[in-house]
Amino acid sequence: MKLQPKEHDGIVTLHLQGKLMGGPDADVFRGTIYDLIEQGKKKIIVDLRSVNWVNSTGIGILTSAFTTLRKNGGDLKLIHVSEKIQSILYVTKLNLIFECFDSEEEAITSFE
Amino acid sequence: MTERIVLEFPSEYSYLNMVDLLCGEIMADMNFTREAKNEISISVIEACTNAMEHGNQCCPEMNVRTVFEKLPDRLLVEVFDYGRGFDFKEYMQHIPDPSDIHKLRGRGIFIMNSMMDVLSFEMLPDGGMKVILEKMIQNNDGKNN
Repeated sequence: MKLQPKEHDGIVTLHLQGKLMGGPDADVFRGTIYDLIEQGKKKIIVDLRSVNWVNSTGIGILTSAFTTLRKNGGDLKLIHVSEKIQSILYVTKLNLIFECFDSEEEAITSFE
Repeated sequence: MTERIVLEFPSEYSYLNMVDLLCGEIMADMNFTREAKNEISISVIEACTNAMEHGNQCCPEMNVRTVFEKLPDRLLVEVFDYGRGFDFKEYMQHIPDPSDIHKLRGRGIFIMNSMMDVLSFEMLPDGGMKVILEKMIQNNDGKNN
């Protein structure tokens, strides 16, 4: 998994690329979230447009980031969620937890 | 005639992409809806991830074996690992809440159970575990063939 951050008015968009699953991905993602929190950046958008597929561990990585950010007064929102990822979120009822948007602009506006 | 496709690969995450692609190819001429194809693909990846992580303890020298059987009314997939197995009967009775946001893991079996028509586990006599996944092909009226 590749991860590319981009900042816009204190809101950071993390563009993920590849697969979101267990193994080293969890450490990379967790490390990035902690670094951003330390820098005071707690409003995060995760762009899943280029994520080919995700497994349950990948979903766990997202929920872990979500809870870490919420505990620190921040939030995490998802954009460009594929059909496959949507069906996992739906079946696990995590669609009730994660806010998903079709575009980065919509997600940015939702933080206001 | 039943078509049978077998893929065996080391317990490394990079091979899961191959499994995903193979799933897509196998289902291409089967009369599943796009939603059903997604559900099968997701479930097979989950079963393989479990086999690698919990069965083979992520040991690359230990293989995961997948067997796909294209039947007239359904797709049958068997996933084998060579680990010590686990008490699946006990686990199935107490499946953790998948919406618990404090859990990093533990959603895989719930996802497979929700998305497939049949999910079962068998301990193998020589060690290891076999996971059996089945998805029925449905008619336009939503009934199984």
